[in-house]
Amino acid sequence: MKILDHLEEWLITFLMAGATLIIFVAVLHRYAAGWPIPGVQDWLLSLNLGWAQELTIIMFVWMAKFGAAYGVRTGIHVGVDVLINRLDARWRAKFIIFGLAAGALFTFIVAWLGSTFVWDNGAHHFFLQLLGRPVGDIPEGPTTPDLEWPTWMVYSAIPLGTGLMCFRFLQVMVNFIRTGDLPHHDHGHVDGLDEGKPEVDLNTFALDENLHPRPVAGDAAKKDTQP
Amino acid sequence: MNALIIFLILLVLMLTGMPISISLGLTVLTFLFGFSNVPLESVALKLFTGIEKFEIMAIPFFILAGNFLTHGGVAKRMIRFATSMVGHWYGGLGLGGVVACALFAAVSGSSPATVVAIGSILLPAMVKAGFPKNFGAGVITTSGALGILIPPSIVMVMYSVATNTSVGALFMAGVVPGLALAGVLGGVTYWRARKFDYPRLPKASWRERLSALRESIWGLLLIVIVMGGIYSGVFTPTEAAAMSAVYAFIVAVFIYKDMRLKDVPRVLLNSANMSAMLLYIITNAVLFSFIMTNENIPQALADWMLGNGLGVITFLLAVNVILLLAGNFMEPSSIVLIFAPILFPVAMKLGIDPVHFGIIMVVNMEVGMCHPPVGLNLYVASGITKMGITELTVAVWPWLLAMLGFLGVVTYWPALSLWFPRLLGMM
Repeated sequence: MKILDHLEEWLITFLMAGATLIIFVAVLHRYAAGWPIPGVQDWLLSLNLGWAQELTIIMFVWMAKFGAAYGVRTGIHVGVDVLINRLDARWRAKFIIFGLAAGALFTFIVAWLGSTFVWDNGAHHFFLQLLGRPVGDIPEGPTTPDLEWPTWMVYSAIPLGTGLMCFRFLQVMVNFIRTGDLPHHDHGHVDGLDEGKPEVDLNTFALDENLHPRPVAGDAAKKDTQP
Repeated sequence: MNALIIFLILLVLMLTGMPISISLGLTVLTFLFGFSNVPLESVALKLFTGIEKFEIMAIPFFILAGNFLTHGGVAKRMIRFATSMVGHWYGGLGLGGVVACALFAAVSGSSPATVVAIGSILLPAMVKAGFPKNFGAGVITTSGALGILIPPSIVMVMYSVATNTSVGALFMAGVVPGLALAGVLGGVTYWRARKFDYPRLPKASWRERLSALRESIWGLLLIVIVMGGIYSGVFTPTEAAAMSAVYAFIVAVFIYKDMRLKDVPRVLLNSANMSAMLLYIITNAVLFSFIMTNENIPQALADWMLGNGLGVITFLLAVNVILLLAGNFMEPSSIVLIFAPILFPVAMKLGIDPVHFGIIMVVNMEVGMCHPPVGLNLYVASGITKMGITELTVAVWPWLLAMLGFLGVVTYWPALSLWFPRLLGMM
C-alpha cells in the first residue's frame, strides 16, 4: 500500500516537471534555431520538436487521471457542502458515505467504459499479437498524429487512473466508517510565514468553508470537551 | 422538460455534498441511462477527448508558477514595496495592503493564499499601528480576490476553455477593470481611514522605494513575461504559462532563495494535485455541456428570452443575479464551467461581446469569494484574524458594497473592459 502511494506521488510529480521542461525546451529551441550561429543552428534545425505539444498533452492527461486519484486521498475535490455541514453528525455521516459511494460508483463505471474502449481500440489486437495468436479482423487501433503511438496506450490512463480513483474512494470510505475522519485539503496554505503557526490557524475544524464536508470525528471530540 | 430533469438531478446530487466533478458526471450518466437515447459510445469518446486541448494545459502551468511564488518571503517583498509607495497617504498600511494584495494575487494566482500570506504579515502590523482589527480584515479579504481579475488568471483560462474565447484578449481585457477595482477598493480604504483618522506612515524616500522595487521586481516580472509574451506573439498562452512556471522556479530557488531545491518536488506534487482536481472538473463539465447542447437547452433559453422581448439589460441583470446566487454554493472554477456554456450562447444571440461577458463573469466570481456562506476568502480570513464569520461579514461590507457597485459598472459599460484589448489590436 505504501509503495502504491509513493508510486502515485512520484508519477504525478514527474509528469508535472517533465511536461513543463518539454514545453520550455521546445520554446527555447524554436527561438534558438533562429540565431545564426554556425554549426549549432544546423544542428538545432535538424531537431524536430513538433511532437512536444502532443507529448505534453498526453503527460497532462495521465497526470490529471492519477492526480485526481491522489486528490481523493488528500481530500482536495470540492463540493457543495453548505447543506450537509448544517446537519448533525449522524446524518452528515450518512451523506458523506453516500457521496463517497457515489464517487466510487461513478469512477467504477468510467473505468469500465474506459477499459472496453481501450480493449476495442487496439489493446485486444496488441495482446493477441504479443501472445502470437491470430488476430483475425480485430482492429489494430489508431495511432496519435505526431508521435504515432497507439492511442490505446495513451488512453489506458483512463481505466488505470480512474480505477485507482475508485479504489481511493473506497479506501477513504472505509477509513471514514472506521474513524469518522476525512482527508481535508487546505486551500490557503502558504510557506515561509515566520510569524509562526499560532497566527495562521487553519485547522480543519476552524475552517468550515463549505466546500468540503466536515468530518464527524471533530464533532465528537468537541462534544467530549464540553462540560 | 429534459432541462428540468437534468438540473434537478444535478442540484440534488450536488446538495448531498459529493465532489462537484462527480455530481456532474453522475448527472450525465443518469440522464443518459434513464431519459435519453444518445449512444453511450459518443459519451465515452467525450470522456477521453475532454481535456485534450493544448489551451487547457495553461492551467497546470499557471498553478505551478503561482505555487513557486506563493511564499511568505515574496509576500513580504510585495508589502514592503507597496507600503513604501502609498504608505504616507490616508489609510497607510491599509492602502499598502490593497496594492500588495493586487500584486501578490496576480503573481500567485490564488485568492485564499493571498489573504493568508498578506494578511498574516500585515494584519498584526496594522493592529500594532493602531488600526481596528475589522478595518484590516475588510481590506485584506476583499483585495485578496483581485487576483482572478488581474492576469494571469486561471478562472479566465477556464472561461476561454468553456467558450472558445481568446485567452490573450481576456487577459488584456482584465487589466483595466483589475486596476480600476484596485482603485475602488483603495478609494474606500482611503475614505474610511480619513473619516476615522487612522495613522499614516512617514513618507518613504525615493531611495527606499527603489530598493523595495528592486527586491520585488523579480516576482512582478512574471506578469510582464506572460502579458508581454502573449501580446508580442512570442508565446502562445500555454507556452507563456510554461515559461512563467520555469521563471518562477528560477526566481524562487536561485534569486529569492525562499525555497531549496529539495522543496521543489513537494511544490510540484501540490500543483499537480490542485491542477488534477480542476482538470477533473473540466472533464466532467465538458460531458455536462455536451448533454446540454445535445438537448438544445442554451438554444431554447435564448429563444425564450428573445421571444419574451427580454433585452441585453434584463439578461445581464439576470446573469449577475444567477452568478451571485451560485457564488453562495460553489467556488469560481466550477461556476464558470457549469454556467458559461449555458449563458454564453444566449449572450452571443443578444450581441454581447464574448470578452466583455467573460469579464462580467470573473468580476462576479470575485464578489462571490468575499461573502458567506462559501466565500473562500472570508473563511481563510476568519482563520487568520480569529474573527467569526458574522463579525467578518460586517467588517467587509463597505468594500463588498463598493465591489457590487463596480460590478454594475463593468456589466453595463463594455468599453471599460474592451478598450484596452482593442487598443492593442487583440480583438
